[in-house]
Amino acid sequence: MREKSPRLPGGHGRGWLSDYLRRNQHVKFIAPAVAVLFILSIIPTIFLLLISLTNYQLGWDFSRAEFVGLANYIRLLTGGDADFWHAVFISLAFMVIATALEMVLGFIVALLLNKYEFKAKAVIIGIMIIPLAMTPSIAGQMWKLMFNSEYGLLNYILRGLFDVSVVWLSKDLAFWSILIVDIWQFTPFVALIMYAGLRSVPAEPYESAMVDGAGPARILFSITIPMMKKLIFLALLLRAVDALKLFDTAYVLTQGGPGNATEFLSLHVYRLVNAQNGLIGRGAAVAVILLAVVTVVSRVLLYLQRRGEDA
Amino acid sequence: MHSKRQAKRAAGKTGVLILLIVFAIVEIFPFLWMLSVSFRTRVGIYDPGNLFGNLTLGNYQEIFDSGILKLFLNSFIVAIFSTLISLVLGTLAAYGFARFNWKKRESRAFWVLSQRFLPAMAVIIPYYLMGAVAGLLDTRIWLIICYIGFNLPFATWMMRGFIEDVPRELEESAMVDGCSRLAALRKVIFPLVLPGMVATAIFCVINCWNEFVFANFLTTISAKTVPVSVMTYLTVAGVKWGEMAATGILAVLPVMIFAIAVQKYMIRGLTFGSVKG
Repeated sequence: MREKSPRLPGGHGRGWLSDYLRRNQHVKFIAPAVAVLFILSIIPTIFLLLISLTNYQLGWDFSRAEFVGLANYIRLLTGGDADFWHAVFISLAFMVIATALEMVLGFIVALLLNKYEFKAKAVIIGIMIIPLAMTPSIAGQMWKLMFNSEYGLLNYILRGLFDVSVVWLSKDLAFWSILIVDIWQFTPFVALIMYAGLRSVPAEPYESAMVDGAGPARILFSITIPMMKKLIFLALLLRAVDALKLFDTAYVLTQGGPGNATEFLSLHVYRLVNAQNGLIGRGAAVAVILLAVVTVVSRVLLYLQRRGEDA
Repeated sequence: MHSKRQAKRAAGKTGVLILLIVFAIVEIFPFLWMLSVSFRTRVGIYDPGNLFGNLTLGNYQEIFDSGILKLFLNSFIVAIFSTLISLVLGTLAAYGFARFNWKKRESRAFWVLSQRFLPAMAVIIPYYLMGAVAGLLDTRIWLIICYIGFNLPFATWMMRGFIEDVPRELEESAMVDGCSRLAALRKVIFPLVLPGMVATAIFCVINCWNEFVFANFLTTISAKTVPVSVMTYLTVAGVKWGEMAATGILAVLPVMIFAIAVQKYMIRGLTFGSVKG
C-alpha cells in the first residue's frame, strides 16, 4: 500500500530535501508533531540525565554545580539512600496489586453488566464515569476526610456497626488505604473498557460452545478471554503504567508518610527535590530510575499487546 | 420445568442487579459525600452522621469571595490553548499515520504513544529548571506547553482512529477530481471527522482540567489552576474541608457535562482510540 508519487518532470536538481519529501509523503504530516514531542520529551530527558550527574541544589546558580559522575546513582544502588529500595519495592508492589485487583474486579463488573439487559444499566454506567471525572487531588482530599480516624465517615460507620475504629492512614495501613482509593477510582475504567470489548465479541463461538455443552467457566477461559486478549493487554498497560507513576493520591493522602510508609518512587523524588531539601541532583537520579522502570514496564506490555493484536 | 428455569433466571438477574447496585453505590459515594460536605458548616463536618442539620451555602460564598474564579479562568485558558495546539498537530500527524504506509510506521506511532507514559514527577525537574531559566515559571504559557506533552500523543492516536474510519475512496476520488491532498483533507476528511475532533478535544480538556503535578510545581500564584487549590485549603488553622468540597463540586460539574456530551466516544477516549466501541 506504499504510496508512490509519480516522478514529476523537472523533479531533478531540486535538492535532496524536496526529493525526500516527495518519496516520503507522510513526513510533512507527522514532522511537526514529532518535532514538538522531541522538544518536550527528549531534551528534558537529556537535561535530567545531565543534572543527575551533578550535585546541583535548588536555588544554586548553574555554574556552582559540580560534576560528580555516577555518585548519585552509586549512592542509590549501594544502599546509601535507605529509602530508595523501599520506594522501588512499594512502587512495584503497588503496581502489581492495584493492577491485578482492578483488572479482576473490572472484568467481573463488565461480565455482570453484560449478562442481562435491564433499565438501570445506563445509570450504572453513568455513575462509573464519576470517579474518572472527579479531580484526583480533590477526590484524594475527600477520601482523607472519610479516612480520618476521629471524625471520618468510615470510622463513624464502623463504630456504629462494630464498635471498632481504624487508623486508616497509620504506618501499617496507609499503603492499603491508598490502594482502596486507587481501586475505587480505576475499577470503573477497566470495567468500561472490558464491557465495550464483551459487547463486540461475536456470538457464533458462544453458540457452538453451548452446542458442545461447555460450561460457563470453560466458555470464559477458552472463548471470552482469548478473544479479548488485545483489550486486556491494553487495559493492563494503561493501568500498570499509571499505577507506577502514582503521585496525586499518595501526595494528597499521606505525603509519603507516616515515615516512609507510602513513599513511592515519585514521592521519593518529591522528598529529595522539594523546597526544604532541594537536592535536585540526587532527586534527578531517582527520577531517571523511575523513568527507566516506567519505560521497561511499558515496553514489555506494549510488546505483549502488539503481539496479542497480531495473533 | 419451564417455569422453574424462568424463576432461576429471574433470581439470577436480581442477584446481578443487586451486585451492580452495590458497586454503583460504592463508586458514587465519595462524590455524594463531597456534595454533602460542600453544604456543611465547619462544625457540621466534624459530625458525619448529622446529614441534614445546619446546611449552608457559606462554603460556596467563601470560595467565590476568595477568588476561585481566577483559578477556573486559568484552568480554562490553559486547557483550551493546550488542546487546540495539540489537536491541530495531532490531526495532521494522525492523517500521516492513517493514510500512508512506511516501514517504521507502527514503531513511530508507538513512540508517539510512549511519550504519554512519561512520569510527570520525572520530567518535572527539567521542566522546572528550564522554566526558571526562561523566566516562564508561574505563567500559563509554560503550563500550556507542558500539557501539550501529554495531549499531543493522545490526540494523534484518537484522530488516527477517526480518520481510518473514513473510507480512503472518498478522498481519492476528490484527488482524481483535481483536489490537492491538502484540499482533500480539508474538504473531505475534515467535515467527516469533525465530531471525532470535538470528542478528542473534550477529552484533552478534561485531562488538563484535572492535572495536578505540573500545575502544583510550576505555578505559585498567578497561573494557579483549580486542582492546586486543595493546597491552599490546608491551613495552619486546620483543613478547610467545606471550601475544598465546594471547589470539587464546581470543578467536576463541567467535566460531567462534557462527559455526557461525548459518552458515545467514551470507550475510545479511555483507550486512546484503539477500541471503537
